[in-house]
Amino acid sequence: MRLANSATALVNLALKARDPYSATAVYSIAEGKQKHQLKELMFGKRRDALALARWEHTPASVLEALCSTSDDAIVVRLDKNQNTPTLAISKLYVAENQRSKCSTSLTVLVAQHRHASPSILKNIAQFESEEASVLALSKNLAANSEVLSILLGRFESSSILAALQKNISEHPSTSSQLLEQLYEKGDVYVKAAVIGHANCPLQLIDKALLEENVLIQRQLASDKRLSHEVISRLSLHQDKSVRCAVASNVIASRRVIKALVSDDSDMVRRAIASRLDLTAHVISRLMNDQDVWVRQKLARNPTVSFGVLDKLSKDLQADVRRGVARNSRCPIKLLHLLAKDEDYWVRAAVAYQHRTPKQLLEELAGDTAVDVLSGVANNPNTPQRLLKKLTFSVEADVRRGVILNPSATRFTLLPLLEDDYYLHRLMLVGNSKLKDKDKWHLCFDPDYQVRFTAFKYFAVHFIKSI
Amino acid sequence: MSTILVIAEHRRNELRPVTFELISAAQGLKKSADDKVLVAVIGSQAETFTTALSVSGVDEILTIAAPVSEFDPDVYEAAVSALIEAKNPSVALLPHSVDSLGYAATLASKAGYGFATDVFIVEYQGSDLVATRGGYNQKVNVEVDFPGKSVVVMTIRASVFKPLEGSGSPTVSNFDLPAVQSRSQNKDFVEQGGGNDIDITTVDFIMSIGRGIGEETNVEQFRELAETAGATLCCSRPIADAGWLPKSRQVGQSGKVVGSCKLYVALGISGSIQHMAGMKHVPTIVAVNTDPSASIFTIAKYGIVADIFDFEEELNSQLAA
Repeated sequence: MRLANSATALVNLALKARDPYSATAVYSIAEGKQKHQLKELMFGKRRDALALARWEHTPASVLEALCSTSDDAIVVRLDKNQNTPTLAISKLYVAENQRSKCSTSLTVLVAQHRHASPSILKNIAQFESEEASVLALSKNLAANSEVLSILLGRFESSSILAALQKNISEHPSTSSQLLEQLYEKGDVYVKAAVIGHANCPLQLIDKALLEENVLIQRQLASDKRLSHEVISRLSLHQDKSVRCAVASNVIASRRVIKALVSDDSDMVRRAIASRLDLTAHVISRLMNDQDVWVRQKLARNPTVSFGVLDKLSKDLQADVRRGVARNSRCPIKLLHLLAKDEDYWVRAAVAYQHRTPKQLLEELAGDTAVDVLSGVANNPNTPQRLLKKLTFSVEADVRRGVILNPSATRFTLLPLLEDDYYLHRLMLVGNSKLKDKDKWHLCFDPDYQVRFTAFKYFAVHFIKSI
Repeated sequence: MSTILVIAEHRRNELRPVTFELISAAQGLKKSADDKVLVAVIGSQAETFTTALSVSGVDEILTIAAPVSEFDPDVYEAAVSALIEAKNPSVALLPHSVDSLGYAATLASKAGYGFATDVFIVEYQGSDLVATRGGYNQKVNVEVDFPGKSVVVMTIRASVFKPLEGSGSPTVSNFDLPAVQSRSQNKDFVEQGGGNDIDITTVDFIMSIGRGIGEETNVEQFRELAETAGATLCCSRPIADAGWLPKSRQVGQSGKVVGSCKLYVALGISGSIQHMAGMKHVPTIVAVNTDPSASIFTIAKYGIVADIFDFEEELNSQLAA
């Protein structure tokens, strides 16, 4: 079959294939009679229409075309499908209201839909009384500050107030003014959420410092707007989760960290081991820590010296040695050493490491562990000759590694277009190293998902050329 | 008096735990005190398993010396077929495993026995033996009965029946394997996935991470969380493909189906069809994702719209308290 040279030719091919999934892929580039024929093909059988209304990959244009239906089962699927576009959702909502049978479950679906328009959401906020719809709306990221404010005002004395306050205190669109109201009236969870909110005003942070609740103190301890004095005070807090939050806070001073490195809690010392501003004194304490997670985190820390990594590369715990192998600044000398490690997961870390040189990858290609071979297949430093060999591996994971390798060339990838695993063929549709003529036959693949992806790829091409 | 036959499963000289679950299932099928549970073990070193098999609920152990140490479908089919003919059990229980898939259907079909696979409830309803299994991709439970069948072969799902506790004192005897021409040969044993890693198909509590964890450096804190919570850390395909967790920890179509899992906590996993193929059957799925429209919520029993790092911090603090 020859490569389609126009949008019309591509749509004709999809029509000829009599495949609803290929039809959905080209629907947006079809016009006039062809569009009508595609609709017939996609929605002619109720079973196909139901499947497409629910399918997570159905394009918005197809879902919109389905909106004129009066089939309740299809409407429910359209309301649930997160690809259904704003206009279509609005149409469905209006149509349901006109028919005076907009069920609660449908309103909930519209209220929580991310593509629901601001006017529809405002309408629901102003007039809807059903609890499930109101709560769904309060969590919808498409709801703006005005909508949230209406909700809080309308349901001030309702039984769902606590849940509503919690949702709104976590909503990214909640304004500073609304946050202040929530802090005054909310419980400890709402207060903690308000404190952690990006729009939280500074005066509320000051107010929260007077609170004794651990949850609020922990939230505060991770705030980057605190003064050194407050951080210092919180580092002495009796609750380890609060001290741990201080240990993770980038504004904590070296003096505070030096004190916390001797903390009884493993949690606190683990948090310190990941910091990028460690002093030699702190590193030397952590290097000999009894907790394996502390040493492991230190091994991954890109700021530690060769000497530290050298010592950690000989640790008895494989997780620590793996940490060294995955360290973005691991010296080549240590990678050679760790490539011979008895633990396959340490060797795999070397195979995936972008600093690993070609010669070492050649050696690792002789390994029997699938994780090591997958690492070699994934590594951009692996020679093309070796990658070509790995495309014939019996392990699907290894072959997929080659597909994911940004250095794999067209000639390396070509055999994988015939791979047994449909997902691999699907992944290759979008690969920029392959030419269109290489991918064309995937439009006629036995797997419907591959056909859809291939048709969509070529359809997008024609949209671009228009 | 009737006999319930259990076929023990072993690999690399170790009995698989499902054998003891089958003994428990068999015990539940005893209708009277005279009924017997007979456990057969097949292999070149079958007699080495008799001590381990001498557990509560077993009345008799039969060892069948075979020319192969590992599973061979032809040998097993011949041995179990001969056993059924000789012992005339009312029910033969096999583990629902890759081994039994190799011979159970042929065995039952050739002799016209009743047959059901992947059974998770088996009981007598009056005098009728009824097996319950999943149907329509586990969406419905199907009850199967076996009218007119004097022998029924069933493969039993693992991790469903609780093994009985305590030791027993069964009689032990040998059973001769009939002549059999095997069509296959064991060349090598290759452990699927990474070397000596845990087999995630056998664990009952899984925490699984997806793209939502963002960077490789974040994997460790979830490993810590899983360890503290007593869970096994698994992942979706992108995480294993990036080399952040071993392939043996990958759940889904490209990875493994977590057949024994009872609680699955999906952290930052959107829920692709491929991933859900490996875990959607789990009775309790908890999904944590910032995107309320993530597909994973459509199959979750409990959905938490939240940042997985906040969730991790909170859960860690509560577990540490």
